Amino acid sequence: MGFDFVYLIEVVVGGLLSGVMYSLVAIGFVLIYKSSGIFNFAQGTMLLFASLTFVKMTENGIGFWTALFIASGIMVIVGVATEKFVMRPLANQDLLALFMATVGLATFQEGFAQFMWDSDVHGLQMNKFIDISLLDSNPIFISDYIPWLDLLIPRFDIFASLVAGTLIVVLAFFFQKTNTGMALRAVSDDHMAAMAVGIPLQKVWAIVWAVTGIIALVSGLLWAERVSVSFTLIEAVMKALPVILIGGLTSIPGAIIGGLVIGVGEKLGEIYLADLFGGQGIELWFAYFMALMFLVVRPQGMFGEKLIERV
Amino acid sequence: MSDILKVENVTLQFGGVKAITDISFNVKEGEVCAVIGPNGAGKSSMLNVINGVYLPQIGTVTYNGVTRKTINPRDAAIAGMARTFQNIALFQGMTVLENIMTGRNLFMKSTWLEQGLNIGRAREDERVNRLAVEKVIKFLQIESIRKTPVAKLPYGLQKRVELGRALVAEPKILLLDEPMAGMNLEEKADMSCFILEINKEQGITTVMIEHDMGVVMDISDHVVVLDYGKKIGDGTPSEVMANQDVIDAYLGVSH
Amino acid sequence: MIYRETGNFVTNYLKDRDIFSMTFDKVVVILGLLYLFLWVPTTSEYFLSAHVIPILAVGLATVGLNILTGLTGQLSLGTAGFMCVGAFGTYNLMLRVPDGLMSLPVALLLSGIAAGFVGVVFGLPAIRIKGFYLLVSTLAAQYFVWWFFNSYAWFLNYESSGVVAIAPKFYDYWGLGNLLGVDMQGYPARYLLALTICIGLSYFAKNLLRSNTGRNFMSVRDRDIAASVMGISVPRAKLLAFFISCFYCGVAGGIYSFLYIGNVDLMIYGVDRSFTILFMLIIGGLGSISGSWLGAIFVYEFPIIFTFIGDFIFQGAFNTAVVENVSNMVYGIFIIALLIREPGGFAALWGTTKQKLRMWPYPH
Repeated sequence: MGFDFVYLIEVVVGGLLSGVMYSLVAIGFVLIYKSSGIFNFAQGTMLLFASLTFVKMTENGIGFWTALFIASGIMVIVGVATEKFVMRPLANQDLLALFMATVGLATFQEGFAQFMWDSDVHGLQMNKFIDISLLDSNPIFISDYIPWLDLLIPRFDIFASLVAGTLIVVLAFFFQKTNTGMALRAVSDDHMAAMAVGIPLQKVWAIVWAVTGIIALVSGLLWAERVSVSFTLIEAVMKALPVILIGGLTSIPGAIIGGLVIGVGEKLGEIYLADLFGGQGIELWFAYFMALMFLVVRPQGMFGEKLIERV
Repeated sequence: MSDILKVENVTLQFGGVKAITDISFNVKEGEVCAVIGPNGAGKSSMLNVINGVYLPQIGTVTYNGVTRKTINPRDAAIAGMARTFQNIALFQGMTVLENIMTGRNLFMKSTWLEQGLNIGRAREDERVNRLAVEKVIKFLQIESIRKTPVAKLPYGLQKRVELGRALVAEPKILLLDEPMAGMNLEEKADMSCFILEINKEQGITTVMIEHDMGVVMDISDHVVVLDYGKKIGDGTPSEVMANQDVIDAYLGVSH
Repeated sequence: MIYRETGNFVTNYLKDRDIFSMTFDKVVVILGLLYLFLWVPTTSEYFLSAHVIPILAVGLATVGLNILTGLTGQLSLGTAGFMCVGAFGTYNLMLRVPDGLMSLPVALLLSGIAAGFVGVVFGLPAIRIKGFYLLVSTLAAQYFVWWFFNSYAWFLNYESSGVVAIAPKFYDYWGLGNLLGVDMQGYPARYLLALTICIGLSYFAKNLLRSNTGRNFMSVRDRDIAASVMGISVPRAKLLAFFISCFYCGVAGGIYSFLYIGNVDLMIYGVDRSFTILFMLIIGGLGSISGSWLGAIFVYEFPIIFTFIGDFIFQGAFNTAVVENVSNMVYGIFIIALLIREPGGFAALWGTTKQKLRMWPYPH
């Protein structure tokens, strides 16, 4: 039987699209790491909290855009509060301690989010709110456009990619062209030097965490549509870890490419390699193995900064 | 006296920056050799090359008659090299005693199993090496702080502890990177005494990077001067001090 | 009784290394051991089975994680995966090796060693990869181990439900129980086995901490370049740490399945278990063996006590979801608060208390 080329394309495209979702989460991580060296383990729970808050609001009759607005506001507050009450008091401690603080934060948020709202699974269907053809639940049949390419692409994946892409472009613009963006890059390069030229460190960090909160909201909503809002959201999001680690903890383009690599790799592995390992569900660990193999060859990730230890 | 250390045509580059360009010098066994030069001249990098922490693009280091492009830092330690670092590389999570004891790790004979059970050779190891460490602690006059966590000590004392940790390994050659940086006059005098005594009493060759000219003139037998990664002076302290190139470098005459 | 060190002079270097230097401490420890070995087995079965034995299991895993993360600085999220290897290993050894050759203590030991080797395999990347990047390796271990035992049903003896209850005969050590007329499957017997193992391994860990190996581990944690410059083999230290740590976790897993739950069940060794043990480690204090035990007790008992308060004072107002969420919040708050005020965790708090006791009634 001939190799099903079209199926391969479908798998790859599917992988790319889900990879974009991973990238989005990864970017949140990278932002914070770049500007403060903190590995924010609480990124996943921020997603949960954001989407849970949003969903609870819409379920109680609040309109989509209003809820989005309020949720954004809440996430900004959460971000700033985190920086002020958790990160700042720990500023003079080593990175391991800061990481553990984010682990503590993650646990707290996980408990708090479900305590405040509830632990049920909530579905999210955006086409109930936004009436555009892209959110229609029918998949797009590529064969409608290219006769020989018999692929099915879920519309939502395209929508998610567009949203993610837009966000990435906005962020890129923000970093490269605006003053605040430049200040952020300065801070991530060298705190001391940034302070020396008068950049207000605390304000910059507050902004970073606020922006991360918003990213958490956007990615949370996109993910929620796919896997519903429940604490298992966190597990799905943990996959973003290999993404950042492949892309390099300090690189946004790395996060994007890493996401695509993992997305595609996972799908390919699941479909073509599963038989080799005699079991289903190798996607559980495949992403991590990919990252592992990659890191062994290049310990700082694709675009990460090489750690030159000065003695 | 023979040369214990020979550096030949070493060039070290980091990306586009040449830290060291074609440097050669010899160190005689038992001497105190000071490596001096303005900041950024490549002195620490030179030490790191000797020690095996950096790999030079060109050149070799001959130690104890064995010529190598580079040496694994661990092998260097086994071969009798010990060193201190410019920014103090003490183990911040441990006490003074524990830090200096780590310097004896090559003398430990017991396995981890014996150590976990605290039997046999493990107990002997601790006792025998503690004895050696106590000798150094007494020499450096740091008895009162032996159980203090190193992170709580002032800078000058940390540097002394670091010297102790290097010394306790019974090295043949001691590489000291700015052992007196940040010290006041009194501390410098103490440190100079320690270094001199180590060299004269125990015959340990010492290569030290140092900025204080007074100290260099007083205690070194041989001086090597670096500037912008190149060697511009090599000889006895008085020879080097009279060298016009050296004077120019320090006074900042433009190149 | 005045808690003082006066008059207690050390006369040789070996004495300086005593774990308990004050007579008061020595007496307390001996009394404590007597209490644990002689009196506790006579307490209620419920107390043993629901409180003591599980804490022994998770506490041991915490000590294991401490060796890897607290002592050697290698971050690990794969703890439960290694526990899983221990549990499944013990089960398969007991099941498949002829009765005359195998007994529970031996099986626990051997499966621990197996877990140790698995740990070394996943620790190999640590030679190249540093810092947070290392998380991938232990997470890979966690997920891989779980998937492995889930996919190959042979390990569970093809039990379709996915859970295997442990047969009573597995508890007897070569017929010793019958000989002594003791019910080896009973909780007192299980407790004594767990206790012996935990005390033995904790003692071992404490010794390790204060020995050359422990110092080597800590030097790798603090400044690995300086460590290698002094002749310490950093790769060897890291791999040894992985081996010993995962050995502890494996044994802990065996204890958890065999002596606590009585089932071999994949579900209890998921990544959330790894996190729980990490919380125990952080709250207890990294680098301290006694801290690990304190942390384990706190994290394990809190939900139980909280539920009890709910039942007692609020008439059962707290359902399981509420308890779980509040517990998570509390763990999070404690971790952050401790990191801010007392990074050494409960162990440091306890140390400060003892310091104050030694000074009492003087303030300093």
